[in-house]
Amino acid sequence: MDTINYLINGFTIAVQWHNLFFAFIGVLIGTAVGVLPGLGPMSGVALLIPVTASMTSGMPADQAAASSIILLAGVYYGAMYGGSTTSILLNTPGESSSVVTTLDGYQMAKQGRAGAALSIAAIGSFIAGIVALIGLVVLAKPLSGIAIEFGPAEYFSLMLLGLAAVSGLAGKSMTKALIMTVFGLLLSTIGIDVVSGIARFTYDQPVLYGGLEFLTVAVGLFALGEVFKTILVNDHANGTITKIDRIMPTKKDLKKSAMPIARGSILGFFIGVLPGAGATLASFFSYLTEKRLSKNPKKFGTGAIEGVAAPESANNAASGGAMIPLLTLGIPGSGTTAILMGAFIMYNIQPGPLLFEEHPDVAWGLIASMFIGNLMLLILNLPLIKIFASIIKTPKKYLLPLIIAISFFGVYAVQYMTFDLFLLLFLGVLGYLLSTHDYPVAPLVLALVLGPMLENNMRRALTISNGDYMIFLKEPLSLAFLVIAVFWLIIPLILKLKGRKVIINDED
Amino acid sequence: MNKKFDRIAGTVFLLIGLFFLTESQKLTGSAYGSQVGPEAFPAGLGILLIILSFRLLYETFKYKDSRSQKEKFEYKRFVLIFISAIIYIFLLEKIGYIISTFIFLIITFQIMERGKWLYSMLISAAFSFGVYFLYVELLGGVLPRFSLF
Repeated sequence: MDTINYLINGFTIAVQWHNLFFAFIGVLIGTAVGVLPGLGPMSGVALLIPVTASMTSGMPADQAAASSIILLAGVYYGAMYGGSTTSILLNTPGESSSVVTTLDGYQMAKQGRAGAALSIAAIGSFIAGIVALIGLVVLAKPLSGIAIEFGPAEYFSLMLLGLAAVSGLAGKSMTKALIMTVFGLLLSTIGIDVVSGIARFTYDQPVLYGGLEFLTVAVGLFALGEVFKTILVNDHANGTITKIDRIMPTKKDLKKSAMPIARGSILGFFIGVLPGAGATLASFFSYLTEKRLSKNPKKFGTGAIEGVAAPESANNAASGGAMIPLLTLGIPGSGTTAILMGAFIMYNIQPGPLLFEEHPDVAWGLIASMFIGNLMLLILNLPLIKIFASIIKTPKKYLLPLIIAISFFGVYAVQYMTFDLFLLLFLGVLGYLLSTHDYPVAPLVLALVLGPMLENNMRRALTISNGDYMIFLKEPLSLAFLVIAVFWLIIPLILKLKGRKVIINDED
Repeated sequence: MNKKFDRIAGTVFLLIGLFFLTESQKLTGSAYGSQVGPEAFPAGLGILLIILSFRLLYETFKYKDSRSQKEKFEYKRFVLIFISAIIYIFLLEKIGYIISTFIFLIITFQIMERGKWLYSMLISAAFSFGVYFLYVELLGGVLPRFSLF
C-alpha cells in the first residue's frame, strides 16, 4: 500500500524532535488563542505566520515549510480545543465555533460539572481529530488523483465554486459577502501582472509592485480589527470563572457521550470538507442533530453532556476536514485555511494535487503531525485545563497593546517596510468598521489569496479556447462546478425568501 | 443594520468599482502569451462591484434601521492608541526596535489603564528585549537598531 508507506514516512518526519517541538508550540498557542475571547483561530494563525517564518529561516526550504505548517495547523485545531473552555466556564465563547457549547456547557458548569464538560470536550475533540485524519488519509490520494486531471477551465470554475460557497454562507447579507469577495479579487490585481509583466494600479509606487501582501491584509483585518473593537467597546469580561473540581467524566457521562461524539465527528468532518461550511456550521448542525435524535430533547439547554460532546467533536472534525480541499485541490474553503494557504505560498509551495507528488514530506509530515498534535492536546488539556482557564484572566490592559506590538513585529519582520505598517493600521480600522456592520472579512481574504490563481486559470483557459468564453460551459466538469456554485448562492436566497432561518457561518 | 453606514459603504464600493473599471482600460500592452490582456479580469470585476454596490444601495431603502442599543464607545482611548501606533511606526527606523517598542508599550498600557507603572515597565522591557534578542541574536533576523549615524 502506497498510502501506508507515505504515512509511515510522514511519521518519521513528524517525530523529528524539532517538528515535535513545533507541533507542541502550535497546539499550546492554539489553545491559548482559543481561550482568549476576541482572538480567533484566523487571527492566531495570521499572527504566527511571520513568527514561524523567522523561526524556520535557517532550515532548508522544504523542511522549513513542513515545520511551520505543522505549527500553524496546530494553532488551528488547538484553537478548536481552547474555544470550548471559555464557553463552558464563562459562558463566553472563545471563538464562533464554540457558541453552541455555551448552551449546555455553561449549565453543566453551574451544576458543578465543569470538569466533566471540559474533559468530554477534550476527549470528543481528540476522537474527532482522529476520525478527520483517517478521512484525510483515505481521501487525499484519490482526490488529488482526480484533481490532477483538471485543466485551467475546471480549476477556474472550481475556485469560483469555492468563492461562491464562502460568500453564500458568510454573514447576514449575501450582497455584502459578495461585495467583499469581489473587492478582495480586485485588490489581488494590484501589482505586476505575471502573465504580461505590466504593472497594474501601482501608479509608480515601488511598494505596490509586489501587490498587497496577503499577510498584512490578514493580520490587519482580523487581528488588529478585533483589537480595535475591544479597545473601543469596553466590555469588561464580568462573570466569574466557575470552579473546577473533578476533571474526569464519570462512566455514565462517557457512555452517554459516545454516540454523540461519533456522530459529531463524522458529520463535522463532511461539513468541514464542503467549501464555505466551516467549524461553526458543523457545531450547530451536530447540536441540532443530537437534539432531534434525543429521546427527551427538552434536557438540551439544561446541562446535557451530549450538547457539549457533539458540537465540540464536530468543530474539531470540521477543522480536519477543511484541510482536504486545501491540500488536495489547492482551494481553501474557509478563512483560516485561506490563511494557511497563504503560508504555503510564502514557502513557494503550491497546495493542490501536485503537493503529494512534489512535496510528499510536507503533505504527509503535516498529516502525521496532526495525529501527534491531537494526542498532545488530549494529554495537555486534561491535566492543564485549570491553567488554560486562567489565561482568560489576562488583563486586557496588557493583552491588547501586546497584540498590536506582535502584529507590528510580524509584519515588519517579513516585509521590512514601514509602508506595510501604515497599511496594517488602516486595514485594522477597515476590518473593525466592516465586521461590525456585517461585512464579512473572511471572503475578502479568501479572494485575495485565490485571485491571482483564478485570473491565471481564466486566461489560460481562454488562450486554449482562442478567447471563447464558452469553454467554461463546454467542459463537463467545469460546467458541473459552475452549476453547483450557482446553487450554492441561490439556495440560501430561496430559503430566506421562504422565511426559513438560514444558519450562517461566522468567521472561522 | 445601519443604513447610514451601508449607504456610505455602497457609494464607496461603487466608486472603487468605477475606478478599477476606468483605470483598467488605460492598461495597454500586448496580450502576449494569452488571449486576454491584463485589463479583462479587473474590468469584469469592476463591473460586478458596481452592480453589487447598486444592489446594496437599493437594499438600504428596504430594511428598517435597527440600531437598538447605543453602545458606549471609548473613542478617546482608541484615538490615543492609534496616534501612539503611528508615532511608533515613524520612530521605529529612527530610534530602533527596542526603544520604540518599549516606549510604545508603556504608553499604550497606561492609556488602557492608568497605574501599575512597575508592571508596565517590566512587561514592556521583557517584550521589546525578548523579541529583539530571540529574533536578531538567536534567529539571525534583522530589526532596526539604534544608531546615531
